[in-house]
Amino acid sequence: MIDYVSALSIDFGLIVPEITVLVTSFVVMMLACSKKVSSWSSTVTLVGYVLALWFTTRQWGHQGSGFADMVTCDNFGIVFKAIFIVASIIVVFLGHRYLRVKGLHRGEYYALMLVSTLGMMVMANSSDLIVLFLGLEIMSVPLYVMAGMYRRSLESNEAGIKYFFMGAFSTAFLLLGIAFIFGASGTTNLRSIVTDFSYIANSFPVYLYAGVALILIGFGFKVGTVPFHTWVPDVYQGAPTPVTAFFSVAPKAAGFAALLRVFVYGFSEVTILSDVFWVLAVLTMTVGNLLALRQDNVKRMLAYSSISHAGYILVALVVGGADAVAAAIFYLVAYTMFNLGGFGVVTLLETRSGCKSEFNELRGLSKTNPYLTATLALFMFALSGFPPTVGFIGKFYIFSAAMQSGFVWLTVIGVMNSFVSVYYYLRVIKTSFFDEAEGTPVPAVLSPTIIIALVITAVGTLGLGLFPQQLLQLSQAAIFGMP
Amino acid sequence: MERLELKHIFSWLHDLLVSTGLGEPWLSVVTYLMLGAMMFGALSVIALFLVWWERKISAHVQQRFGPMRNGWHGWYQTIMDAIKLLQKEDVRVTNRDKFVFFWAPVICFVAAFLAYIVIPFGDGLIVADFNIGILYIMAVTTFTIISLLMAGWGSNNKYALLGGMRSAAQMVSYEIPMVASILVVIVYSGSLSMVDIVESQSGMIFNWFIFKLPFGPIAFITYIIAATAEANRVPFDLPEAEHELVAGFNIEYSGMKFAMFFLAEFVNMFTVSAIAVTLFFGGWNGWLLPSWLWFLGKTLLVVLLLMLFRWSYPRLRVDQLMEFAWKFLVPLTFANLLVGAAFKYLGWYW
Amino acid sequence: MSEYLAVLLFAVAGIGIVLITFGISRLLRPHNPYPEKNVTYECAEETVGPSWIQFNNRFYIFALIFVIFDVEAIFLFPWAVAFGQLGLFALVEVTLFLMILFFGLFYAWKKGVLKWV
Repeated sequence: MIDYVSALSIDFGLIVPEITVLVTSFVVMMLACSKKVSSWSSTVTLVGYVLALWFTTRQWGHQGSGFADMVTCDNFGIVFKAIFIVASIIVVFLGHRYLRVKGLHRGEYYALMLVSTLGMMVMANSSDLIVLFLGLEIMSVPLYVMAGMYRRSLESNEAGIKYFFMGAFSTAFLLLGIAFIFGASGTTNLRSIVTDFSYIANSFPVYLYAGVALILIGFGFKVGTVPFHTWVPDVYQGAPTPVTAFFSVAPKAAGFAALLRVFVYGFSEVTILSDVFWVLAVLTMTVGNLLALRQDNVKRMLAYSSISHAGYILVALVVGGADAVAAAIFYLVAYTMFNLGGFGVVTLLETRSGCKSEFNELRGLSKTNPYLTATLALFMFALSGFPPTVGFIGKFYIFSAAMQSGFVWLTVIGVMNSFVSVYYYLRVIKTSFFDEAEGTPVPAVLSPTIIIALVITAVGTLGLGLFPQQLLQLSQAAIFGMP
Repeated sequence: MERLELKHIFSWLHDLLVSTGLGEPWLSVVTYLMLGAMMFGALSVIALFLVWWERKISAHVQQRFGPMRNGWHGWYQTIMDAIKLLQKEDVRVTNRDKFVFFWAPVICFVAAFLAYIVIPFGDGLIVADFNIGILYIMAVTTFTIISLLMAGWGSNNKYALLGGMRSAAQMVSYEIPMVASILVVIVYSGSLSMVDIVESQSGMIFNWFIFKLPFGPIAFITYIIAATAEANRVPFDLPEAEHELVAGFNIEYSGMKFAMFFLAEFVNMFTVSAIAVTLFFGGWNGWLLPSWLWFLGKTLLVVLLLMLFRWSYPRLRVDQLMEFAWKFLVPLTFANLLVGAAFKYLGWYW
Repeated sequence: MSEYLAVLLFAVAGIGIVLITFGISRLLRPHNPYPEKNVTYECAEETVGPSWIQFNNRFYIFALIFVIFDVEAIFLFPWAVAFGQLGLFALVEVTLFLMILFFGLFYAWKKGVLKWV
């Protein structure tokens, strides 16, 4: 008999958080089978996420790799796993009432979310392109279903189908890219690719560059960079709002985890990548911002704004190196907080009947819900990058990393873009504070769950903005531990 | 002196071909083509016999005589039937899909025919012993589903379409328990090759997998149920249910095209019985008599079982059929697979 | 020459023989079609509309479940062959694998997917 356990270095200790999430998703799915207990699914989901978060934090500082070197457990992956789990927890709180009102509160929603989170965690932990692909698929397939979950809404169906086709296409690109890389290097393991890089680059430059380009396109679709962003607004607008909140944060963070791992660690010696990312970053920021200016729907506006934020994070990929990666992680944590907060308020407003998140539905909001409007204003300030919110600090770190590496023009364009974005974020504040409503405005009804979600995000937005030191140290400790 | 067996005829043929001075690639090509033609002839004889046998058995089950006129107990009745079918007019519906309609019977027959490459008729009596034998059979026989769908679609007839769809759903559903029942045997044989499977059952009768496996009879019964459904036979013959779908997918076929479907059905019945014998009843293993006779005898016994099924049970309803597959057979066969594997690990078998 | 050549040649022989029998029957049989004979058979009723229409999507749901289990079967074949050398670890792995699939089957069952209506 062959001892496979030690031959393949199978170590289940490395994937305890993943196993926790997987088991929770099974439990939730079984609960969904029975009408009596299906209302427990949100509670069980939360318990599962909290357990997984606890297991994840316990892994901090423990380096290790296993499963034939396909899974790597390092601080980089752990921080990203924590981001996914925290974002999911906030989304669970934030969506609860909305789903009840729209009749979507079913166990399947939580089961899908858990499976999707599992995929993201696999992505963040992978040191092999095939495992990365596997994680990406596990993440994406539930997302397609979630986008189309609101079956009575045509927009939701459209979102599901669009997302599915775009996702399938992008996955095909990614897989083809991996195949090219495998053809060039004979391995899919990132560590082996790094070790043999000069040999691969000298022997099979065409396959290598084709592979890198295709992988970049694949991830470009996933994180919604311009020119692969066309699906973003329709999907974000059509999907149920809590799902949109989830889309805008967790898969994006997972995509960036993969991008950073593959391109900053794996293919760091492909020098042309920096220029490619420069173009992508500038395009993404600018196009996202300019298109956001003309939107009359808050969800659509936030969709374009999330594109532009992806552009800011791409700046870190242009720069490369430890400081930029730390800045990107910091920015992703910050973005998780204020973007989820923004979507949280939108979700709450959509629980009013007939509300479609148009801009003019915000009129007179400050009269009916003054505190809620103040929170909304806080998130909008953070999105546009005003101090003392965390949005400012995040942008500051990213652009200072760019300046230090001499990307002056990139920084200038980025800062200009931030100024442009102020216009449409402040338009939200202006509409809700200063515009008079036509007729009597309907107040939004607060529920305990959404208050929890908004408090977490607001405290995160303000608190991390005032005291960023801890988080900065954390993200600096989280740059690749891969030996 | 060695007994004269079929394999000697094969080697004689091979020597004859070599003596004509053919080179290597063409030698194999001609050999395989000739083997194919011979196999076709053998299968036609078997199918003709089975049709006659089925009619006699059904008659005796129903206390009738069945065909009696043509020869002793009507023995050449089916030969006459075949000649009659050859002379039948080929009625073609006007609004059929010409291409699909024409190729459906061909594919149906060829799918059934291809399985015979790896059926071990006797010791050394096998066309080619692939190391993925049983998997290969599962793969090629699945083409039958496509041909039935093609027949249903190509006829542009509502009964035919319903029959085709039903047969596809049914064969697809019963393929899962069939595979699971086969997998138990493979866990014990450690090989997918049909010859290896038979050879690992050599020796005593207790080495036959139906006795050797911890729950061998369960594996065999689930296999034979699934196989009956795969061969579209009563009680699982919904695709052609006479009283509701008239004749199902082959409603618009006549003449030789219909004969091909008919032939394929009986060939399929023989195939699943031959697989059952190979997997569970020791294949050609036996005493005194030549190995191919043992194989044929055992297979005919399993065929007899299938025929008795047909004349003992009423036809199932379509919903009962699907629920029986997914809610009973699939869990049962996979549980049996896991238990079988556990017993193998623990060594609880002889 | 690979022995898998046999598959191709058997397919050729099979198709050839079937086509030859079709040809023989063409020489022997009468050929007398007229429009009434060639209409769609529906027990002597006039057919209403074509039969190439959309209908019961149950089949596709079963086909989807089938695909999952069939892919699984492809994983299980090599497992079964090598099981003798793999031991307990393989048994546990496959048990987990099957459990995950049967969770899915149980879910589908409970949701009424396995009912043919």
